[in-house]
Amino acid sequence: MKKIVVSILLILALIAPLLATGTQEVDENAPVTIEFWTHEDANRQKLEDRYIEEFTKTHPNVTVNVTRQSANKLIELVQSAFAANQGPTMFNLSIEDEYQYISAGRVAQIDYEAAGYSDAKDVINSYAPKMLEGVTLDGKVYGLPLELTNWSIFLNKKVFRDAGLDPEKDYPKTWEDMVEISRKLIIREGDILVRRGYDFRYGYYLVNNVPMVEQLGGALFSEDGKEAIVGEKAWIEFLTFMKNWGPNGENLGSPTYTAARKLFNKDNNDIAMCTTGLYQEARILNDNPDFYNSGEWMVVPYPKFKNAVKDVAGCYYGHFYMVNSDADKATQKAAWQLISYMLSHGEEYLVNVGIIQPTIELLNSETYKNMPYSDVFTGDFARGHIVYYGAASAEIQALIRTSVEAVMLQGVDPKQAYLQLKTSAQELIDEQ
Amino acid sequence: MKNKNKTFSIERKQARWGFSFTLPCLLFFSVFSFYPIVNAFFTSLTNRMAVQRTSEFIGFDNYIYLFTKSNGGFSLMNSMRATLTFTIGTFIPMVVISLILAVFLMQLRHPKSKQFFQLAYYTPAVLSSVVAAAIWLILFDPRGLFNQFANTLTFQSGHDFLWLVNNEMLQASTMIVYFWKYIGYFVILFITGLAAIPPAIYEAATVDGSNRWKTFWRITLPLLKPTVVLVSIMAMLQCLKTFSTQYMFHQGGAARQPIDVITMNIYFTGIRNGRLGRASAMSIILFIIMLILTYFQFAVSKSDDVEY
Repeated sequence: MKKIVVSILLILALIAPLLATGTQEVDENAPVTIEFWTHEDANRQKLEDRYIEEFTKTHPNVTVNVTRQSANKLIELVQSAFAANQGPTMFNLSIEDEYQYISAGRVAQIDYEAAGYSDAKDVINSYAPKMLEGVTLDGKVYGLPLELTNWSIFLNKKVFRDAGLDPEKDYPKTWEDMVEISRKLIIREGDILVRRGYDFRYGYYLVNNVPMVEQLGGALFSEDGKEAIVGEKAWIEFLTFMKNWGPNGENLGSPTYTAARKLFNKDNNDIAMCTTGLYQEARILNDNPDFYNSGEWMVVPYPKFKNAVKDVAGCYYGHFYMVNSDADKATQKAAWQLISYMLSHGEEYLVNVGIIQPTIELLNSETYKNMPYSDVFTGDFARGHIVYYGAASAEIQALIRTSVEAVMLQGVDPKQAYLQLKTSAQELIDEQ
Repeated sequence: MKNKNKTFSIERKQARWGFSFTLPCLLFFSVFSFYPIVNAFFTSLTNRMAVQRTSEFIGFDNYIYLFTKSNGGFSLMNSMRATLTFTIGTFIPMVVISLILAVFLMQLRHPKSKQFFQLAYYTPAVLSSVVAAAIWLILFDPRGLFNQFANTLTFQSGHDFLWLVNNEMLQASTMIVYFWKYIGYFVILFITGLAAIPPAIYEAATVDGSNRWKTFWRITLPLLKPTVVLVSIMAMLQCLKTFSTQYMFHQGGAARQPIDVITMNIYFTGIRNGRLGRASAMSIILFIIMLILTYFQFAVSKSDDVEY
């Protein structure tokens, strides 16, 4: 009898914690370690290191280990870590790389209370319309935006004047203007480009080039999502434009040259225009304060084709902070508290890093309105839409890259490149 | 009988020691090579995705897919072509030229000049592949040193040789980088092989009136056969596993298709696109290719062991 009682008590002791999990309270003072993985940005690092220090002072039980990697490397590291069930507690990636974590259930929905909101609706209403669409699934919100970015055209006025152009009047309004102006700005030594007028931001085709196709009436997918690479004429026209731009065409630029954005800040008379976001302003100030203060640079809107059937600017993309759903509740809560604390400094992020956290409060603030050329970015936001973020977005981008490289570098006929792109993209979509 | 038992006991004792010495290596191989191969094979039979928590057993579907579909525009067939082009274009010249350089270095009488050349040839092998590729990316830039050098050689200026643009030039560029990086390593291996040939054989040949050319073909090369086989297999396997140069060049803006070697396709399929099952199938196929080619090379070069 005694043995039976002891056995029952032991079994109950084993079962009790399992039954209790549903109502288990999070111990607020238990030690918590947050593994925080993010991409490198010297300006942002200064701010966030300070925020983390402040946060851990008010939350002495929390330890934050920060790992910073280049944006491209981070995509791979986060994926590999999740594949091995060793993902970081919190991380940020661009939405086109991040969405798969939501659809696969690998990230937790926001702990609204910890993040300072009452519910999902409250979060959504705090941000500009549609800004959280990419991280909302079945009414639940899974991420908070570190930044929402779009790209316009940065222009060096000195280089324009050097080529006898008036930057205020002659800046490119259309892609045809871009070709025409580049012809005037370019300096060559034989076939070699010593100074480029403009060059594309190669590698980011979904953000920067798909809108060009959309201007011409094409699309990445049909409305029902079943057909890929829609609008043969538009795609071939776009690919023909890129072919003419490259070394096998008019030789105005090439992906094999140093990225235009990297050269722009140096003001070395080797590039006149590049595509980048508002954050570039903080980087110019950081890299070359004299150039920043000289007023010899300006920002102009994303061009469109003369025969455009639709006015579309470059897509905007978001980097969202997300929390690993494998982390225990206490760690998740601490992570959302930290995210909320960091994001409560929207104006400082804007001024010091040049990144926009699209809260209604920030977008209506004087600080945002006073940022140089913020009106240009706001205008392009209104003309643009969020970048494509499906499960196969990275693969689709690689395919577009291949077709652009094929016409620009390998001399492939645009129609042939289009057919190859369509077949491969369709294969991917059919697989989903 | 007693004596035989004693020998047997000594052999067993020696074998036990031998086994204990090889045990760490065996353990290392089992954990870091054999287990991953077995694991990759089982993963290749599933539809495992990096971010998904679960996967299903799909038999040989990944293999069938890879041989019948385009793998989202980056087919295995193109990767096999790129890998074979690179391997043939790199390992044959590398084996031949490293042998010639090794013989040349052995002829040098002054030890300091010998050391200098050995060091000069070997230095690139110490660099990481990524650093080497990054250096060559700068050299292959249209305004870079290599393009200027090519212009000087061809008595022109301002010509862009399209090192990273044109399909053929791009493939040749990856071969040049690999050749530059690994030639010194194989030269050292050949020098070791050459040094092991007893000088008395050469002295006898000289006494018999053999000239250098004849000595090389009749004595050096036959006696060096084990080293040639070793170097050619190592060089071939290295070439089949090439990755960093192609990856860095692609990151630097070069087109992927012409240089999409199997390892790079595995990387993009598995790490970038998260298709771990399919990437594992590709790595098993690469493993089988390497196994077959190595066996073939052994079979072709099969002969009696060389004894001095």
